[in-house]
Amino acid sequence: MDSDRRGQWLRGVLDLCVLAALRDGESYGYQLAQALDVAGVGPIQGGTLYPVLLRLQRTGLVTAQWREGTSGPARKYYRLTEHGRATLRQDGSAWLAFVAPVNTIVTKGVDG
Amino acid sequence: MNRLVTVAEMTARELLRRRGVLLLLLLMPLTFWLIRRDAYVGQSVRSLLLGVSWAVSTAALFATGAARELEPRLRLAGYRPHHLYLGRMAGLWMAGLVIAAPFLLLTVLDAPELRHGGVAVAMLCCVGVAAPFGMLIGVLLPRELEGTLLLLTVVAVQMLIDPAGSGAKLTPFWSSREIATWAVDHTDDGYLARGVLHGIVVTALLVAAVAAVSSVRLRRRRHLRQLPTG
Amino acid sequence: MNADEWLRTLAAELHQRRVAADAARHVVVEAATHLREDGRDPWLVLGPPGEYAAAISESIGPAPRPRPGPVRLHAQGITKRYGRHTVLRDASLTVRAGQIAAVVGANGCGKSTFLRICAGLVSLDTGQVTVTGRLGYCPQQGGTADFLLPDEHFVLVGAGRGVARGPARRAGRTAARQLGWEAGGDVLTRHLSGGTRQKLNLTMSTLSEPDVLLLDEPYQGFDHGTYVNFWDQLARLRDQGKAIVVVTHLLNQLDRVDLVLDLTAATRGERA
Repeated sequence: MDSDRRGQWLRGVLDLCVLAALRDGESYGYQLAQALDVAGVGPIQGGTLYPVLLRLQRTGLVTAQWREGTSGPARKYYRLTEHGRATLRQDGSAWLAFVAPVNTIVTKGVDG
Repeated sequence: MNRLVTVAEMTARELLRRRGVLLLLLLMPLTFWLIRRDAYVGQSVRSLLLGVSWAVSTAALFATGAARELEPRLRLAGYRPHHLYLGRMAGLWMAGLVIAAPFLLLTVLDAPELRHGGVAVAMLCCVGVAAPFGMLIGVLLPRELEGTLLLLTVVAVQMLIDPAGSGAKLTPFWSSREIATWAVDHTDDGYLARGVLHGIVVTALLVAAVAAVSSVRLRRRRHLRQLPTG
Repeated sequence: MNADEWLRTLAAELHQRRVAADAARHVVVEAATHLREDGRDPWLVLGPPGEYAAAISESIGPAPRPRPGPVRLHAQGITKRYGRHTVLRDASLTVRAGQIAAVVGANGCGKSTFLRICAGLVSLDTGQVTVTGRLGYCPQQGGTADFLLPDEHFVLVGAGRGVARGPARRAGRTAARQLGWEAGGDVLTRHLSGGTRQKLNLTMSTLSEPDVLLLDEPYQGFDHGTYVNFWDQLARLRDQGKAIVVVTHLLNQLDRVDLVLDLTAATRGERA
């Protein structure tokens, strides 16, 4: 499996996945990476995740807050803004609408 | 004080690193000593002293030339003019003593019949006068070639002029000549006294001249107003 | 490379990319926490620190430029004649803290003279110059002592302000490193390449931490990499609040400059 291609896919959709992962509450970097890994999107390199989080923060889709962890160092917790929620709804629906026909085409090509 | 010492140290370091130039400078006094050695020792001593004077003056001339571009920056870095010219002079005097020492040793070993104390005092006068003399020429004549030629002229005059003549006392290194006579010919103490006095006076005059010219050249120009940051 | 080294390199790379200091600090702390929780090798988890820093700085964007501060150099109506030849006629320049001014013009039109007048090294015929704060000056060539070591230059400059030798040497070597040069060697200045000697020249002028920096085409002999480093270094100094005047006849960096003084016609002129 060409990791380059996978990386390309992930680059296109990682911000959406992060927004979705934050829908139910706040989270911090490592926790998000774990959640996405468990969900099957595969191990997300921290080097890819944090720039995305920063960009989302800069464009106002998430806000961040530093909080003292229960055990040890402070963590930066991210949460969705209203703008982020709206973007998630909108772009998420657009993604689902995009991916359905792609799935159909590719399934036909793979299974014949 | 620290600024002055730092300038002196760097001057001496710079000079003593120029091994090639030093070697050539030391060649002249040495050859002067050796050339007339078989003849009257007084001639050798006088030639040697003149050679040392020339060597130290030339070193001072080069040191001044090398520092010319550096001094304005040092002014801006916080040095006052007197730190720069007095520091340079102190460094040159120290280097001058280092240059003269082996030749003193040479006379002690090679010519035991002299009053070596007198030779030492004569060398002190040479170094004392030569450093500010070379510096003065260096600050007045911007190009080293002209300065070197002027130095050669002075040395030639010094060598040829009759020390008892009327104009002789106007030559800068007359003091060492006079003291040399005391050291070689074992004459009366008047020679020593006159020589030392001449040496001190000429050194003082030259130092004052260097101070005056340097202070003017390194002055803070009046059109520049510097205010502290508020 | 262990986690601490990785994090240190990350911090340096962020600084190099001119990421704002507090943002950089947050990034490093966040990365440290992630590494601690993950537990594996930093290179596996976050990748090479340089690439990470590059990705981060792209996301954050460069630090905003601070607004120009108070006037630090005010040169007014400068006229200079050498005999019957008028080199400068009524030249003026005002530079504030946090600005870079370029002085341009054809060869021989008095750029160096203008700078030397502002530095107080050459007298003028009419005009006035007011400098607020400390002055630093870098001549076009020379300005260094052939038979001294670079370290000894730093000690010399430092002593002017009463800085002790150790700190002066350290400060000099740190400033030299910004230009990509390891200065603490045994090589006499005369044996340095032209470009390296110019780096020494430039380093000496910044050592006394001046508020106004006057540079006379200090990049002679620089290779392209050093030339770029030099302008990056100027930008850093500018961001620290210095007022900088650079004499240059190379016009390709004028977009990084706030003011331009064109002396070609030997007339007044200041265009922002």
